[in-house]
Amino acid sequence: AMLTRTSRLVSGARRARHGEQHEGLHYNIPLQDMRTLFPHSLPPRFSMQVKTFSEACLMVRKPALELLHYLKNTNFAHPAVRYVLYGEKGTGKTLSLCHVIHFCAKQDWLILHVPDAHLWVKSCRSLLPSTYNKQRLDQPAEASIWLKNFKTTNERFLSQIKVQEKYVWNKRESTEKGSPLGEVVEQGIMRVKNATDAVGVVLRELKGQSSLGGFRLLVAVDGVNALWGKTTLKREDKSLVAPEELALVHNLRKMVKNDWHGGTIVLTLSQTGSLFKPRKAYLPQELLGKEGFDALDPFIPILVSNYSPKEFESCIQYYLENSWLQHEKAHTEEGKKELLFLSNANPGQLERLCAHL
Amino acid sequence: MAAPAVKAARGWPVLALGVRNRLLRFPGLTQVRGSRYGPEYKDPQVDKEYYRKPLAELTEEEKYEWELRKTQHIKAAPASKTSSVFEDPVISKFTNMIMKGGNKVLARSLMAQTLEAVKRKQFEKYHAASAEERASIERNPYTIFHQALKNCEPVIGLVPILRGGHFYQVPVPLADRRRRFLAMKWMITECREKKHRRVLMPEKLSHELLEAFHNQGPVIKKKHDMHKMAEANRALAHYRWW
Repeated sequence: AMLTRTSRLVSGARRARHGEQHEGLHYNIPLQDMRTLFPHSLPPRFSMQVKTFSEACLMVRKPALELLHYLKNTNFAHPAVRYVLYGEKGTGKTLSLCHVIHFCAKQDWLILHVPDAHLWVKSCRSLLPSTYNKQRLDQPAEASIWLKNFKTTNERFLSQIKVQEKYVWNKRESTEKGSPLGEVVEQGIMRVKNATDAVGVVLRELKGQSSLGGFRLLVAVDGVNALWGKTTLKREDKSLVAPEELALVHNLRKMVKNDWHGGTIVLTLSQTGSLFKPRKAYLPQELLGKEGFDALDPFIPILVSNYSPKEFESCIQYYLENSWLQHEKAHTEEGKKELLFLSNANPGQLERLCAHL
Repeated sequence: MAAPAVKAARGWPVLALGVRNRLLRFPGLTQVRGSRYGPEYKDPQVDKEYYRKPLAELTEEEKYEWELRKTQHIKAAPASKTSSVFEDPVISKFTNMIMKGGNKVLARSLMAQTLEAVKRKQFEKYHAASAEERASIERNPYTIFHQALKNCEPVIGLVPILRGGHFYQVPVPLADRRRRFLAMKWMITECREKKHRRVLMPEKLSHELLEAFHNQGPVIKKKHDMHKMAEANRALAHYRWW
C-alpha cells in the first residue's frame, strides 16, 4: 500500500526531536552542514547521490533512533559508553553513524570522526619512523588529511580548548602550555612530518579535557575492526607491520578505551574495506577477532538490518519524488515487487538497482 | 533465415527428437550457427500476465490456443530471456554485442553504468537549466538510448556485387534488423576505438549516446557518409536484381 503522507519530514525544526512516529521518513540536511561535518568522508555512492539531487536526505531508522535515545539519556559522569553498529553489507551502518554525528553536531558536541579506519592500515605510500617513539611508524599523508578535516568540522572549539602541556616539535618550534588547540592543528598541517604526533597530541588533550566538562566529546570511528586486524603495509626490509606499530592506530586505540568520561564512543564495523576477513562475516566476534573484542568489551551492540516493508516503500517514494526512477514500469506494483525481490530490501543493493532504472 | 554456417568436424552429433539436420548430405560437417529446432517448434511464452488469467475468463479463441500449446513442441527459453518487467530486447541485444569472450557479467555491469551515467548527466543539465528549458530535457535513459539508436540507423546501405570480375558497391535498401545491427555496431566500434586509454567505456558510451540523441557526433556522421556514398553510386543501382 502506498504511504498517504509524503516521505519527507515537513519542517526541519523537528530535527532534534526525532521520535518513533518519524520512522521511515527522510529528513534533509542543509548542504552547508554537509560541507562542515563531512568533508570527503561520506561513502562514494551517497556523495554521488547528494551531488545529483543537490540535497542530502537521510532516512530515520530504528538503529539510529535507538542510539539517539541512548545519547539523550547519557550520564556524563560515568565512563564513556561504547556503541557498536554491526550488520551485513549495505544495510546502512555508515549512514546511521552520519545521522548520529549530525545530531550531536546540532547539540554542539565536539566531533572526532574517523571516516574509514581501513584507509590507515593499507596502501600507504610514505611510512616514516616516528619522531616520538622509535619503534612506531608515522603516516604523514593520512594524518594531515585527518587534521584538515578535523579543523573544518570543529572550527569553533579550536580556539576554546587550551593545551595543558608544553610540546616541543623540533629545535625551532614548540607549543606553549595554555595556547589554543588550533595551533597544534596548524602545526600538524604545515609541518607534515609532525602530523602524526599532532594527531596524538590532539587525542590526548581531548581525552584529558572532556572529563572537565567544558564540552562533550563524540568519538565516531567507521570500520573500527581495522585497528585490531592485520595490515598490508611493509617496511623497507619487506617485513610486515603490525597495527600496534602504527602511531595513528596506537593513539586511536587509547581513545576508544572507556577510561574517560564526558562523552560517548560510537563505532561501526565494516567488512567492505577489511583485510583478510571472509566476505560473509558481519558479527563483532568475527570481524574484531579475539584481541579486538576483548579490547572493546563491554560494549552495546546495535544491529542494523535491511529495510522493513514500510521503510522500503518510503525509499521508493523518495526516489519517485525526485524522479530518480525513470523507467515507466518502476511506478507499477509489479515493478516494486520486482525491486523488492531483486534487492531483498537491502538499502545498498536497492540504490544500485534504482541507479540504472 | 540465412543458410547455417558449417565447419568441418569429425564424428556424428547425436540427433535429438525433432532436431533436423539438413547436412545429412554433407558428411563430416557440423552445424555451428543457426537454429537446430525444426519448423514445428514454437517460441516460449514468457509473459506472466498470460498465465495469470483465470481459466473462466478466457475467450473461445484463447482457450483453443491454450489447448493447442499443450500439444505443440516448444523451444527451450534462453537463459537471458526473463519475465522481468524491466527487460528490454534492444538493451539485451546491445549488451550481447558489447560482451567479449562470454563475459556477460561485465557486459551487463557496463550497460548499467552507462545508463546510470546518462541519467546523472541529464539530471545535472536539468538542475542547471531554467524553468522553460526543463520541460525539453529528457531524463529517461531508456528513451534516450532508443532514440539515439534510431537516429543512427542508415536508411540505405551498400552491398558488394560481383559483375565482370570486379566488385561494385551497389546501393541497396536494408532490412530493419540489418539497420538496427549497423547502428549498434557503429556505436560500439566507435566507442572502443576512438577513446583514450584512461577513459572508461560507460563514460564514453554515455557521451556518444547523448550526442546521437541530439543528432550530432561521429556515429551520425558515419550514417551520413554511408548515405552520401550510396548517393554517389546511384548509377550502379541497376546491378541489383532483387
